[in-house]
Amino acid sequence: MTYAVQLITAFLGSLGFSVLFNVRRTKLLIAGFGGLLSWGVYLLLTLWLPEGPMLCFYASVCVSVYAEVFARVKKTPTTSFLVPGMIPLIPGGALYNTMQYAIAGNWEAFFPTAAYTLRVALALAAGIILVSSVMRMFAAVFHALRRTRANSSEK
Amino acid sequence: METEKLLGLALDIGEEMLISGAEVGRVEDSMRRILSTYAMQRVDVFTITSSIVVTVTDADGNTLTQTRRIRQYETDLDKLHALNDLSRRICAQRPSFAEIKGAIAEIVKSKPYPVPVQALAFAVIAGSFTLFFGGTFLDAAASALIGLLLKFVVLLLGRTGVNRVFANVIHSLFVSALAFLCTAVGFGAHPDSIIIGNIMLLIPGIGMTNAIRDVISGDIIAGILRFCEAVVIALAIAAGYSIAALLCGRWLP
Repeated sequence: MTYAVQLITAFLGSLGFSVLFNVRRTKLLIAGFGGLLSWGVYLLLTLWLPEGPMLCFYASVCVSVYAEVFARVKKTPTTSFLVPGMIPLIPGGALYNTMQYAIAGNWEAFFPTAAYTLRVALALAAGIILVSSVMRMFAAVFHALRRTRANSSEK
Repeated sequence: METEKLLGLALDIGEEMLISGAEVGRVEDSMRRILSTYAMQRVDVFTITSSIVVTVTDADGNTLTQTRRIRQYETDLDKLHALNDLSRRICAQRPSFAEIKGAIAEIVKSKPYPVPVQALAFAVIAGSFTLFFGGTFLDAAASALIGLLLKFVVLLLGRTGVNRVFANVIHSLFVSALAFLCTAVGFGAHPDSIIIGNIMLLIPGIGMTNAIRDVISGDIIAGILRFCEAVVIALAIAAGYSIAALLCGRWLP
């Protein structure tokens, strides 16, 4: 039940942000499903792994692949699906709590929360960059292969 | 003269991309490609989140530099898509300057979703995240209502052109005070769940993630700028909550 509520709200939250970020037409649904996917992967992995930044990394990798694929299908920048898809994972709540502790002067709670926020942000960014770098590498290899094939057929 | 025109157009595209929420690396890359298409001997682009500097040397050996200062961003993924298409088209077809100018004007004219739709999105997001973070359905209803009103506060404050940090203190103060008020009259039971739902609309979680992404991509200055910005805005939001908690603790039962 809680899982179902979380998945639906993750979808609606991502969909809402897609509207604010001016994503249009069918892309809106694809962007919303990115949020459902990222949180679904996160929840699924909690079955085997402890919660935390590492799960965010795996979820980030999945949603990055999803965004790369649909960016090519829809001929649009990856960002269109990446940013909405990341919404359920972003450390918004943790960042807020960190600043809350800072203002309350609760430094014992501040440092671990700040570290957690940073680790989540780092995990998400690492996932995005890993996928985009691998995709770029594949694209380069693909282009090189095609060029050599074209050259050899000319001869 | 031609080079100057081209440089201006390339900067227009880069500036709009940055405002719409493109990563620094993408902006630099697009501008370099556009300028290189028109037979420049040398192109140097340096971009951070608040400024673009471009120097080109054209085929005749004239060197030109222009800069742009970017003061505010408004994530608009549709505009980014259109700008991306345009820069690709420029590289493939080398259209005339007049054509590029017309295309940019067309893109800049495009509008976001109408305000009522955006207000509805605010309500949906706030209500969703209240449920997401463990609130009840009644909490979510209160949260959605506050989110709806928040959109208009954001809109009105934005029109005054007031300082961003101050604006965020007010946004968060408004949200928190209304949440305490709602729970005091029995509309919702958990003020913290209601508040976090609305805070998700304000908190720069994406900014924080993009900051780290910029740093890893090698755009370290841009990343640090984004990081500091996210921290300052988040502090402002936390401050707004604290003020509301102080006031409501005194005046509400």
